[in-house]
Amino acid sequence: MKTKYIIFGAIMVLILANSCEKDIPRYTEFKSYAYANNDESGGNWVPVLLDGATAVDIAPPETTTSTAYLTEIADIKSKMDNINDNQRKSIEYWTNNAVVRWNEIALELIAKYNLIPGPNDDDTYTLPNPNTPDGPPGFPFSHPPYASRALAYLSVAQFDGLISAWHYKYQYNRPAPYQNDASISYAYEPNDIPSYPSDGAVLARVSKNILSTMFPLEVAYLERMEKEHLESLLLSGGNVQSDIDAGVFIANSVSEIALERAANDGMKNAQAPKAVSDSIKAAAFERFGWQWENLELPVRPVGLTPLFGKVKMWSIDDVESVRPIPPPSLDSQEYRDDVEILKNYADNMTEERRAIANFWQDGLGTYTPPGHWNRFANEFIVESKMNPLRSARTMAYMNMAIMDAGISCWDAKYYYHYPRPIQTIPGFRTIAGTPNFPSYTSGHSVFSAAASEVLAYIFPEKAQIVRAWAEEAAISRVYGGIHWTFDATVGTDQGRNVAQFTIDVAKLDGAD
Amino acid sequence: MENNSRTSFWQKSSCMDFNPKWFFLQLTLTALSFFTHYDLLSQTPTDALMMPSRNACVLLSYDMGQFDRYWEGDYLRGNETIATVHRNTFLPMAAISILGDLNLYIGLPYVKTESSEPNGGRFEGANGFQDFMAALKYRALEKQLGKGTLSLLSTVGFSTPATNYLSDYMPYSLGFGAPEFSLRGIAQYDWNNGFYVRGMGGYLWRGYTEAERDYYYNNGSYYSSTMDVPSAWNYEGILGKWFLNYSLRAELSYSAIKSTSGDDVRDYNAAQPTNKVQFERIGAFLQYYIPSIKGLGLVAYHSRVVNGRNTGKMANTGFGLTYQFNYLKDKKEIEDEN
Repeated sequence: MKTKYIIFGAIMVLILANSCEKDIPRYTEFKSYAYANNDESGGNWVPVLLDGATAVDIAPPETTTSTAYLTEIADIKSKMDNINDNQRKSIEYWTNNAVVRWNEIALELIAKYNLIPGPNDDDTYTLPNPNTPDGPPGFPFSHPPYASRALAYLSVAQFDGLISAWHYKYQYNRPAPYQNDASISYAYEPNDIPSYPSDGAVLARVSKNILSTMFPLEVAYLERMEKEHLESLLLSGGNVQSDIDAGVFIANSVSEIALERAANDGMKNAQAPKAVSDSIKAAAFERFGWQWENLELPVRPVGLTPLFGKVKMWSIDDVESVRPIPPPSLDSQEYRDDVEILKNYADNMTEERRAIANFWQDGLGTYTPPGHWNRFANEFIVESKMNPLRSARTMAYMNMAIMDAGISCWDAKYYYHYPRPIQTIPGFRTIAGTPNFPSYTSGHSVFSAAASEVLAYIFPEKAQIVRAWAEEAAISRVYGGIHWTFDATVGTDQGRNVAQFTIDVAKLDGAD
Repeated sequence: MENNSRTSFWQKSSCMDFNPKWFFLQLTLTALSFFTHYDLLSQTPTDALMMPSRNACVLLSYDMGQFDRYWEGDYLRGNETIATVHRNTFLPMAAISILGDLNLYIGLPYVKTESSEPNGGRFEGANGFQDFMAALKYRALEKQLGKGTLSLLSTVGFSTPATNYLSDYMPYSLGFGAPEFSLRGIAQYDWNNGFYVRGMGGYLWRGYTEAERDYYYNNGSYYSSTMDVPSAWNYEGILGKWFLNYSLRAELSYSAIKSTSGDDVRDYNAAQPTNKVQFERIGAFLQYYIPSIKGLGLVAYHSRVVNGRNTGKMANTGFGLTYQFNYLKDKKEIEDEN
């Protein structure tokens, strides 16, 4: 009898345990929502790269009474009648704001490719090469500067494409299929935004194009996602094929312009060869009497993207104009005080500081600090029920500011070439991984401060909280043991300063 | 219904009431599971032995584990960022016989991890109490069969983190940071000449652990700090023999863990609790009951992971001291006197 009870008890425990299976979210969970605003005049906003909304020429659509249009309507009705479960799930997934979804796809790819190449058997390192993306190591290594740039081009191209789409939507005013034909029921919250050209199609094609260049090994995956998204636009009852074709046309034109800029923005030279890297380091030593050293085993011969500071900025002409003041010299009292602060944190680690260090770490294998701020922006966009155009604008200005912040930060890092705590404090140990680039200023601080300023501008009700987050992200690196306090505080000021240039542009684009 | 061999030992024993050998062996095997918790080996009370009722035993042991290579997926890699990772465990443990056929085990290991010098990562190690563990073992059958005895047993175990240690800090984390329910079946055959074989099969249901970040990649994005620690199958095979008139015993063991889900460690990247961990391990184990000191025993063992996936190529060496006593003896004696 006893045996039976015990076996029964054990089985019950296992059943109970299995019933606790959790559904862990894979993306921002939201359903279609009614847009807070249609932004009817969005077609008059100033694009970032396009020479005005009409730089891409879109012909007038067929009228809603034309045979061609009615054939298209009949086509989507027949598709909708034969919809399957996967297609239904797909409609639900893409929602009526795919800016968020494509951003999440970008974040996922960043996390997937944010892997630092390990050493070869002979202790050399091979760097990812865009000309031979298969590797090994595969291209890219989507570290924070790379991520900031991928997100900026993605968001800018989406924004410009949607401005153009909005312009023609309200110029031609062709209502959506579900507005023309009462028998079509729209899968999402209805709105009065004209459907030609399709904003969803702009997003699908632009995002596929930009991300395919940034993540060349993912072309097949991105094509599949684009196809699924485009199909869901038809099946939702929101677009006919000619809406989509016009959106795709805008997208192709805009992404070509964006990718042209990307090809020539200086990123391809950012990972300087050793000779250049050595001379940058020697110049810093000459100037200041210190130089950062990589302490990994085997030593990495070149730091991460020494020339990212030379990449073309979005809103600032001269990166040196926003360069922060020099850090304290290694024989100053200020420096010695900081050594004591770091030692004190390391010797007295609390659970709170550890949690802060880990929450903001966004290290290898994750979506990086720029990605973390995009995730916040996605959540805010959904919360405030932004339409796709305004969502893209939020993302565009935030990611331009983040990339400019990164460029400015990298300029300071390699100009000052300041050592990390593990280099100058004997026996120092950290709970965060020390990155392969100089200490001053902290990338987390600059990225986060810039992102928070743009979010504070767009979501004034969030200003206080996002600025506090940015400061926490900055100090988290000190708690982690990998940054000095002045890396964090000066970096925060630097990020706020840099972001202001982008915010000043945004304020004049016609959206406010 | 003692079999011949056991009876012969008991007759030679200075104490008829208890049998320390049986007892510290099972305790030690239980202890082994703690030492290698990080490696996701968790063999808990896996032997076929039961303590006489009214007995209790305490164990103190020290385990030294280390690895200088680990499997990234199925690729065995060395990594100077972490150099050789040391993992030392001090384990206090107790076992109580509730009934002759039902034993309770409790334990709480203290773990310290660190990298050897020099290393390229300069990471701080970790230390602290790991998981509180409790297990109940029940003997369902003990039957003379042919030239020996067959025993069938089952163990139900539970463990859960005793402190707020960070599981998402590999390879230094103290454990996988999730509760575990385990169910095991054990079969042992003891020949009258002192040889024995044992087989164990079990399932380890592992729950969720909380990271301190709210996004991670596990073949795709996860927007949560909750990580699913894969459940696992656990197997073991033992060949053993008693020597020196049942005061020394030696065992050779093979054991394995096989996660039922999970992702691979990515290129040159840190492991995380969601990883699919598998390994096979071989070990040797010695146990000596000191005839001159009643109730005191010594154990020593060495084991090596010989094959694995997403885990360190761990080698463990350990020593332990066991002491068994009859916890109701005084009371019983009083009753007898009345």
